[in-house]
Amino acid sequence: MVQTAQPIEYRNKIVEFPLDNPSEKDIPDEELHEHLAKPSTDRTRRLKARCRWKHASAGEFVEKGVRAGIERMRLITEAHKASNGKPEVIRRALGLENILSKCTIVLQEDEFIIGYHAEDPNMFPLYPELSFMAVQDYNISDYAPQPVSESQEIADYWIPHSLQTKASKYFDPVDLGRMFNVSTMEAPSFATGYNSVVPPYETVLEDGLLARIQLAEENIQNARKEMEKSPWDATTGLEWIHKIDTWESMIIACKAVINWARRHARLCAIVAENFETDPQRKSELLEIADICERIPAEPCKGLKDAFQAKWFTYLICHAIDRYASGFAHKEDKLLWPYYQKSVIDKTFQPMTYADAVEMVEMERLKISEHGAGKSRAYREIFPGSNDLFIFTIGGLNRDGSDGCNDMTDAILEATRNIRTTEPSMVFRWAPEGREKTKRLVFECIRDGLGFPSIKHDKIGTEQMKYYAQFSKNNNGATDEEAHDWANVLCMSPGLVGRRKTQKTRSEGGGSIFPAKILEITLNNGYDWSYTDMQMGPETGHAENFKTFEELWAAYKKQYAYAMDCVIRAKDVSRYFEARYLQAPFTSAIDDGCMELGEDANALSEQPNGWHNPITTVVAANSLVAIKKLIFDEKKYTMDQLLDALKANWEGYEKMQKDFRQAPKWGNDDEYADTIIRDFYEDIIGGVMAKIVNYSGGPVLPVGQGVGLYMEIGSRTGPTPDGRYGGEAADDGGISPYMGSDKKGPTAVLKSVSKVQKNQKANLLNQRLSLPIMRSKHGFDIWHAYMKAWHDLNIDHIQFNVVSTAEMKAAQKEPEKHADLIVRVAGFSARFVDIPTYGQNTIIARNEQQFGAQDFEYLNVDL
Amino acid sequence: MATCAECSFFFQIPENYSDHEPGKGDCVTEKKDEKGKYWLSKPTFADSASCAKFNKSVNL
Repeated sequence: MVQTAQPIEYRNKIVEFPLDNPSEKDIPDEELHEHLAKPSTDRTRRLKARCRWKHASAGEFVEKGVRAGIERMRLITEAHKASNGKPEVIRRALGLENILSKCTIVLQEDEFIIGYHAEDPNMFPLYPELSFMAVQDYNISDYAPQPVSESQEIADYWIPHSLQTKASKYFDPVDLGRMFNVSTMEAPSFATGYNSVVPPYETVLEDGLLARIQLAEENIQNARKEMEKSPWDATTGLEWIHKIDTWESMIIACKAVINWARRHARLCAIVAENFETDPQRKSELLEIADICERIPAEPCKGLKDAFQAKWFTYLICHAIDRYASGFAHKEDKLLWPYYQKSVIDKTFQPMTYADAVEMVEMERLKISEHGAGKSRAYREIFPGSNDLFIFTIGGLNRDGSDGCNDMTDAILEATRNIRTTEPSMVFRWAPEGREKTKRLVFECIRDGLGFPSIKHDKIGTEQMKYYAQFSKNNNGATDEEAHDWANVLCMSPGLVGRRKTQKTRSEGGGSIFPAKILEITLNNGYDWSYTDMQMGPETGHAENFKTFEELWAAYKKQYAYAMDCVIRAKDVSRYFEARYLQAPFTSAIDDGCMELGEDANALSEQPNGWHNPITTVVAANSLVAIKKLIFDEKKYTMDQLLDALKANWEGYEKMQKDFRQAPKWGNDDEYADTIIRDFYEDIIGGVMAKIVNYSGGPVLPVGQGVGLYMEIGSRTGPTPDGRYGGEAADDGGISPYMGSDKKGPTAVLKSVSKVQKNQKANLLNQRLSLPIMRSKHGFDIWHAYMKAWHDLNIDHIQFNVVSTAEMKAAQKEPEKHADLIVRVAGFSARFVDIPTYGQNTIIARNEQQFGAQDFEYLNVDL
Repeated sequence: MATCAECSFFFQIPENYSDHEPGKGDCVTEKKDEKGKYWLSKPTFADSASCAKFNKSVNL
């Protein structure tokens, strides 16, 4: 049976923890997750059973038959060749038009939200114009587009036109070589093609694309009048040229998208009238056809319209015009007006709450079979997932009222029912948020989905205000607009709405790896354990450092060097994106781009320059151990430590034990926490904040892990925290190292709360006791914990609630555990889709038990 | 040689669509695999040479 927690004496009474759902006593602990999925309708049950998952494990696709298509790359290349000589922004629009007018349209049985981004639902597209290397990578794999020879020709064609070729010449080859090793810092963004975007969905749903076309046409007319004014003034008059081109590109793009949507309408009608025999489905197909005739050309009138318009917009911005990871939007706020029309007022597309839940379940399954043409490296760093798909709910409205509504609840209920790993979700926690919704949040977490992750509503809103002050055109978020934010990917908040959203990845996180930087700092910038290269500046040999402060200063220099390299690469990428990879459709649906005649990549109104330190806690714990054992207690010399590390602690077992047992992060230990707080505030965030990026603002840390805590762990030699070479690093931006938080859940919160300055978007991963969470006290304990978390001003937390017994059972018989879900880092995955190395890191995370002292601190009434 | 116009999978694009051109149509085919049925639509022209999926229309 599902385990129950042992009784605890608390406030002079014995507290028992019976299961909240007594029927679970008949379910073996090893198979609990297989009993939790409850799709709300037969249709969503069927859709889940036949879902074309695109999960990857260790870089390989899990399901057979998944592969890259050639259609998109063929069509974008054909258009690029044919448009030579035209303005670049027009070429980009013509590229999109060529794809959308000639591509294959896909319709699958049973689905209500329709549309796909490749020529077959088992395929995904590639983007040679973003990264020719990613295409080359596919060409030598089992997933190669066919014919491979044509794919290779296309990749070769794009080499001289690529961001990589254009940007590389502005970098020292030595720096590039270090970046391509992905051990101290990420590979240059102009080579990888990895991107993110926050589409301004609101304009599509509220205005419709015909209205956007009309706006662009009016702007062109006005521009022509301005140019014709007498006397001619070139200082302002010439500015109109690129604006006119940009507006024209928007018109081409919007018309192409409308035509593409109507191709879907025709397909539905043709299938209804010529293929489908079920009268009910026939009628439904004709209803979908009607929606696609109107949407996204016209404003949405009901909830079905809104889901379809959102999906079409998503496909264009994230998967067809160019690749961009993510699913950033504030879904409950975006859909609420249409929910009101359909579910409450029943004035258009009338439906019940249960129908709305089914719509959400269907959308989740669309995302679940969405394939991304990421390179092998990016498939490896998101083990068990398709890609990063994260949206946000909850929080406060602009007027400070509770942002939770019945759409929020429908989203959560559907998520709990259908039980898919994608899309992940963020819940913005505000004390004003209604308890009814928080209970549903809890149920998703208790059932082991690993999400919603919880972000501190006020901190996020204040961050939007902070960044607004650096706006280059003095048009950053207003205090009201600052409430409209969602996570861009796993971690960093960014504005949502009709304008000022993040459009490209010069903002948003890249990655830097503090643990590896510590390793090279100890060796004068040299990496002996992985690359055998000089990976940073020569900052001195650690054995010559007389004080801990010298080591600190050397580390700071190494970190600053890597940070500068990475952000410079991002900004140089953006410089060329604005000139060669314009996004006319995204521009068309952004009010700022529309008003100013600027491309989405070029225009920055709201800075949002976050960056991901990954493996911070291994570095931080290592510094603590060095300070204590070498500089304070002088128990060992630096020479001894370096010898032990070079030997991977072999022959130095006693020493390894001492370093392993040195104070560690997450135990409310004053010695460790003081050093680590300074490390976060002075170096991790402090050095970063000195950088000014493309948007004119500072860069701030959003420490987390993705799968890189494993990948970089495998590239990082032994470290002074007692870790062996190749072992995984810490799994969250500010999480204790797995298994080293031994003082209970509230001690972790107290440690993390000590870091405040420059640092408010680091991720805390916690694994909570399953028996306690599934007990009748589960919600009350979690709710009290969340209140404490909020009051301690911690920004971001997420939970695993899964038993070790079930994970170990899944390792033995994976075929029996398809619904076992775990939180890896900023995303969740089916446990059986994760490589064993990764599975073991999740098993090793400390399952936090709550004791009487924790309940006392939380002041929970049991 | 048979053309798309003679195929049962060819559907003329109506005049009220912006991508309407004389002779242009949608080639709509049904596929089935272990995950279920799906339909694909690609633009083609009536006078294009037929492909391997050609299925003679009974309405001709």
